[in-house]
Amino acid sequence: MKKPMQNPAGHAAVLRIMLFMSMILLLGLASSANQPPSNAVLVGNETCADCHSEVSESFHKTMHGLAYGADRSDWSMTCESCHGPGSAHVEEADPELIINPAKTDQFGDAQTCVNCHKSESLDGWEFSHHNSADVNCSGCHSIHTEKEQIVKKATPELCYDCHSEVRAASFMPSHHPIAEGKIDCQDCHNPHGGSLSLTSEDTGRELCFSCHAEKEGPFVYEHAPVNEDCMGCHTPHGSVADNLLIQAEPGLCLNCHAMHFHATVEGVEGEFTPPLAPDRTSISTSDAWKRGMLTKCTQCHTEIHGTDMPSQSISTGGTALTR
Amino acid sequence: MMVFILSFALVTAQENEVTKEYTLWIGGHYTDFTDFSKKVGEYDLGDEDALPELKGSYRFRSGEYLLNIDGHYYDKNNISGRYSQRWADRIKGDIYYRSLVRQEEQDLLGNLSARELIGENPGGKILTHELLDEGADYNTHRREFGGNAEVLISRKNNVRMMAAHRSILKTGDEQKIANSHCFSCHVTSKSAEVDKRTDEFEVGLQADVNDFTFAYKFGYRYFQSRANNASAYYDAAVHPVNGGSGAEFGSRQVFNDTTVVFGTYPETRKFSHKVRAKGKLGKGSFSGSLGYSTTENLNTDVASTAWSGAALYAIPLNSKTRAIARVAGVRYKTDDPFIDLPTFRDGRPGPTYSFDFTRYSSLDRNDFKGSLEIISRLNRTTTVSGLLGYNMIDRHDYPVPDGDDQTTGKLFAQARVKYRKGLKFSARAKYRMEMISDPFTSGRGLFEASGRDAGVGPIPEPFSFIFYWQREALRYQDITIYPTDVHDFDFGLTYRPDNKMSVNFGLKAKFDKNGDLDSLDVEHSMYQPNLALTLTPDPKWSMSAGYTFGHYKSRGPVAVALFDG
Repeated sequence: MKKPMQNPAGHAAVLRIMLFMSMILLLGLASSANQPPSNAVLVGNETCADCHSEVSESFHKTMHGLAYGADRSDWSMTCESCHGPGSAHVEEADPELIINPAKTDQFGDAQTCVNCHKSESLDGWEFSHHNSADVNCSGCHSIHTEKEQIVKKATPELCYDCHSEVRAASFMPSHHPIAEGKIDCQDCHNPHGGSLSLTSEDTGRELCFSCHAEKEGPFVYEHAPVNEDCMGCHTPHGSVADNLLIQAEPGLCLNCHAMHFHATVEGVEGEFTPPLAPDRTSISTSDAWKRGMLTKCTQCHTEIHGTDMPSQSISTGGTALTR
Repeated sequence: MMVFILSFALVTAQENEVTKEYTLWIGGHYTDFTDFSKKVGEYDLGDEDALPELKGSYRFRSGEYLLNIDGHYYDKNNISGRYSQRWADRIKGDIYYRSLVRQEEQDLLGNLSARELIGENPGGKILTHELLDEGADYNTHRREFGGNAEVLISRKNNVRMMAAHRSILKTGDEQKIANSHCFSCHVTSKSAEVDKRTDEFEVGLQADVNDFTFAYKFGYRYFQSRANNASAYYDAAVHPVNGGSGAEFGSRQVFNDTTVVFGTYPETRKFSHKVRAKGKLGKGSFSGSLGYSTTENLNTDVASTAWSGAALYAIPLNSKTRAIARVAGVRYKTDDPFIDLPTFRDGRPGPTYSFDFTRYSSLDRNDFKGSLEIISRLNRTTTVSGLLGYNMIDRHDYPVPDGDDQTTGKLFAQARVKYRKGLKFSARAKYRMEMISDPFTSGRGLFEASGRDAGVGPIPEPFSFIFYWQREALRYQDITIYPTDVHDFDFGLTYRPDNKMSVNFGLKAKFDKNGDLDSLDVEHSMYQPNLALTLTPDPKWSMSAGYTFGHYKSRGPVAVALFDG
C-alpha cells in the first residue's frame, strides 16, 4: 500500500533545477557571439599545403580523399570545406582564426561533419547526449587517417576511455562477451544519437529482444516485469550474480514475491524414502525446507520470461511459469 | 545485391594506383580450468591444452575502391571474420561471421531434498530431485552471420537503398528442469537439444527533398526453435504418504499422471515499418519518426502491436545557447486470450469452481516521454546545461487490483557542467534527479497486508472453508522495490599532458529511495570511483590500466512466510 506522494525535498530540487535552467537561458541570451572573422576568404588547397604538407600529401589516401575523388573535381573536397575560410589564419598565422575540429564544440562549427554525413545512424547527433555533453567528432575520430575506420582506436577501448565503469563491469563473473571480443559496444549503442539513452533501438525491450528473440513472446502466461523493463532484473554489462542479474536469487525474486510457506516447515533429520516412490531415497535436515525453497526460485519457475504452457495447479490459473 | 556489389567493385579496381597491406599473426593460447568450475571460462572453453591461433587482415585500395578482410581463428568454435568493401560513397557493403561457445549453467539440484517433520514423525510434505542425465556437458554454440549493403541510386536527391540481413543460430544442449508436485514435489533434470534460429531482414529507401531527408525501412524477423520438444512425466496426484485421495488431488490439477512437453519456445515473427524525416525547420533542426510493428506468436495466435513516434527539435537561441526538445511515445496492444482451464474439483462431491479467465496483457500501455534541454557555452572553456522532462506510463491492464493508480509519472531533471582547457584538461560534473509517483508494482506479490480482515475477500462461493491459495489472495498486498526518488551524480576529470598519455579519474554515485510505503523504506546506494591511465607511445601501441571500485548497497523488504499451510 502506498501513501500519497509527499516529497517536499524533491519538489525543492525540481525548483532548483528549473531555476538553474532559467539562469542558463539568461546567461546564454546575454552572451555575445564569438564570430569568426567575417572578412576571411577562401585561399585554396595549395596555400594550405605550403605549411601543412604532411597532411596534404596523404589526403587523397584518406576516406575523405576517397569519397571526394578526382573524378568529381568540380565539387571535390578542399581543406576549407571543413576548416572554413583560411585567409585570416594565413595572414596572422594564428591557429585561433581557423576552425580546428579537434577543438570544436556543439555550437556552430560542429555542423562541419554532419552537414555531409547524413545517414540514419547520424540523424540523432544534434539531439544526442554525447553532443550535449560536448563530445565532439574528433574526440573519437582521426579525420586525416588513412584507415577505413577513422576511429582513434577500436571499440570497446575507445568507449572505455570515458566509460571505465563499463570496462570494470565487463570483467565481472557474468558478462556479455565484450572482453572476449564477441560483442561490441555498437551492437547495442549508437554513439551518434539513437534514442535518448544512445541505444540503437527505441526502447530497451526492443533492443534486448533483437538478439534474444525467444524471450519476447507474446506469451499466454506473462511475467509482468519482462514487459516492463528488462533492466528491472538484469544489468547489461556485467554482474556478480549469474545471468546478468542485478542481484542473486532468491533475493531478487523475494523483493517482489512472497516466499513459499514451505520454507518454514521443519524437516526430518536423516535419510528418507518417499512412501510412494522407493527409488527416490534422499536426505533431509531440519532446515532442508529453507535450503530447498530459499536457494534458487528458477529451479522450479523455469519459464521466468513467459510461456504458453500452463503450470499444474488449477487454483493458480496455470500462471506459475513452471512449464 | 551483395554479389552485384562484389563484382562491380572488383571491376572498377583495375585502373588505379593499387596499395595492399597484409597482416598475419600466428600464435597460440593455453587454457586450463583445473580446480575451477567451467563457469569461470564461460566464453573461453577451448580444450585444456595449448592450441594454435591465427589472426589476419588484408587491405586493398585502388583509387576510390577499398577492400578490407579481417579474420580471427581462436578455435573451431570461436571464429570471426568480416569482408567489407566500398566504392567511394556509391556502393558499400559488408558480410560478417562470428561464433562463440557459451558454457551453460548446470544445476545439480542438491538443495532440493527435504521431508517434513510433524512432532517426532515424518510428515507428508516431501521434496526430492533426480538428474536424469547426470554428467551432461551443457553448452551452446552461437553463430551469427549477416550482411549490409547500401547503394547510391541517384546523386540527385541523394537517393539511396539499403538492405541488411542477420541470422543467429544457437545449437547445443541445455539443462531442462521439470517440476512435478502432484503427490510430492519432485524435480527432474534432463539434457535437451537446443536448435534456435533467428532471421532478420531489413530494406530501406532514403532520399533528400529540399532541406529534408526522408527514409522508410521495413523489417522482418522470424524466430523458430527446431529442437524436439522436451517432455517429462508428471506424477499421479495422490496423498504423498498414504497414496489415497487420488481423485480429489487430481481434480485440482490441470494435468497429472501423464507425459507432457515443457520448456517450449514459440515460433514468432515480427513485421515493422518505420518512416523518419530529418531536416531544417525554421532556425532549428528537426528529426521525427513514426513506427508500427506487430509481433505474432504463431503457436497460439496471440499478437502484440506497437505504435511509436518521436520528434526532436534543436534550435540555436544564439551562437552560444541552444535548446533541444524531445518527445517520444509508444503504445502497445496485445491480444487477450481466454484461458480455458479444467473445472476445479470437477466430478468430485461438493462444490466446484471455475478458474477460467481472460489474460489481459501487462504490456498494454501508453508510454510518453518529453523533455526540454538548454545548453549554453558560457565562455571558451565552460559549458552548462539543464534538462527537465516528464515520463508517463499509463498501463491499461496492469496486474494490480482495481482502484490502485495504474499510471506511473516520472519527473526528471538534470544539470551538467563541463570545463575544457584546450586539449589537455577537461572536467565534467552531472547531477540528475527523478521524482516518481506510483512506480511499477508487483500486484499482490508480497507481504501479509497488516490488518486485513480474513473474513472478507475473494473467497469463491460456494466453499465454506479457506484454501491456502485463498488465504494468500486475502492477505498479500502490492509491493514495489522501484524508487520514488533518485539522485545520480557523475564527476570526471581527464588530464592529457600530450598525445601519448591520458589520466582519467571519475566518481559516480547514485542513491534512490521509496519512502511512500507503509512498510520498510526501500533504499539503494552506489559509489563507484575509478582511475585509469592510457599510454600511447606510438600510434600502433596503446596500453591501458584502470581500477574501478564499486560499492552497492540495497535495503528492501523480503517476505517471510508466516504460516505453514
